[in-house]
Amino acid sequence: MESVAAAVGLSKFRPLERILAYDDFDHGLNGWTELTGNYRQDTMAVTPGHEPFTDLRPPMLSSATFPFVGTHGSMAGTYSMKLATRARAGRAEEPIRKGGFAQTLKRLTWQERGLVQFEMWFTYKPEADRPGIGEDEFRAFGVLWDLQDDRHRYFPAVRYLNAANGVVKQKWQYARARKVSAEQWSGNEETSISEDRQAAWGAKPGIDPQWFGRRSPDGSTEGFRDIPRGAQRLCYNETFDKINWHYLRFLVDSSRREYVELQCNERTFDLRGIQPTLAPAYPRIWSLLNLALWVEADTDRRCFLFVDSTVISTGPAGRRGRRR
Amino acid sequence: MKQVHTAVLERFGTFAADFATEPYEAGWAEEAIFFVKIDGVAGVEAALSGQVQISPDGLTWIDEGTALPPIGRAGVACTRVRHFGNWLRLACRVTGREASFRGSIYLVLKG
Repeated sequence: MESVAAAVGLSKFRPLERILAYDDFDHGLNGWTELTGNYRQDTMAVTPGHEPFTDLRPPMLSSATFPFVGTHGSMAGTYSMKLATRARAGRAEEPIRKGGFAQTLKRLTWQERGLVQFEMWFTYKPEADRPGIGEDEFRAFGVLWDLQDDRHRYFPAVRYLNAANGVVKQKWQYARARKVSAEQWSGNEETSISEDRQAAWGAKPGIDPQWFGRRSPDGSTEGFRDIPRGAQRLCYNETFDKINWHYLRFLVDSSRREYVELQCNERTFDLRGIQPTLAPAYPRIWSLLNLALWVEADTDRRCFLFVDSTVISTGPAGRRGRRR
Repeated sequence: MKQVHTAVLERFGTFAADFATEPYEAGWAEEAIFFVKIDGVAGVEAALSGQVQISPDGLTWIDEGTALPPIGRAGVACTRVRHFGNWLRLACRVTGREASFRGSIYLVLKG
């Protein structure tokens, strides 16, 4: 059975020429870890203001087990990576609430600028702890690249905004910050320290768009914009324990610092020529190639993102895309 | 080769009332250790104790029978459990007048 699973494993992906990571969560968490905030330099404590980012929840290896059906298992094998929020959420217009937002990431560095692609098979549900399928209680999940070269740090990111304040939205958005100051964006939140370790380094617009920037009751934020014709109704089966696995592919071009495309199941969204917000390069994190996944609850009900397997791959830059 | 994984269930938390850690799936593991690391204690006759709990579904919980020794001062305590099925959590009691604990809770899994 193992060999059949292995044979099917990569064939359900469309990787670029160099596969940096193929992670099947039947074989451990493979280096996916909880994101944490930063720590003070003078004592073993969290940087003031980073408290909401100290509880982004540890990912777990899940058998997708539910009260009525028992173990659902993963797409291939038993285990998927589960990212779970606590049973708490702020309103859509409020800053994220500690524990109501979960994020995991994989940390790499790059060898050359070019195409960078993330793929995953995933599904999502709120917890089966109460009547109701909870379609309107799951706010969002997202995929985020955190990239840095010699000049810029930038976050090409997409999210599926499923619901906001109980209203179903079901649309894709991409990250590109409104023109705001660092103060407006993040309160100039300290997110790093200077090269000489003497000064705080505040979060610049475009950094961490998954939570920075003002938010609105309809789920929109200063960090994200709707993908044109980006509405998509994903398969959300009739109970909280029927999970169907979905395919996602997110491609960016780090040689041009631009989006390329997002694919989810049968839909491919052309994002060529769109540039994420370019922040100045941060101290120390040269050649950063991080990929993060997150999930956000819309009500006081735990929300889960299950990931069967992932592939991160790279390749030479493609043909010149049209600029928007 | 075995897998091993440490999940930080509570990080720099403040515990001033009874609570339980978030449900954690651990069906792949054969053994588990909960570590409770206390950085600071306030209150009179403050004590933090815990019971390992297991669950068929991650929603309904029952004491597994393994207890965390009561903690009354800064330091680390642990408790071990095997044969737990899939779900694990630590249900904690905080007793004492105006008792409050600061610390972190780790779940170390191997299997």
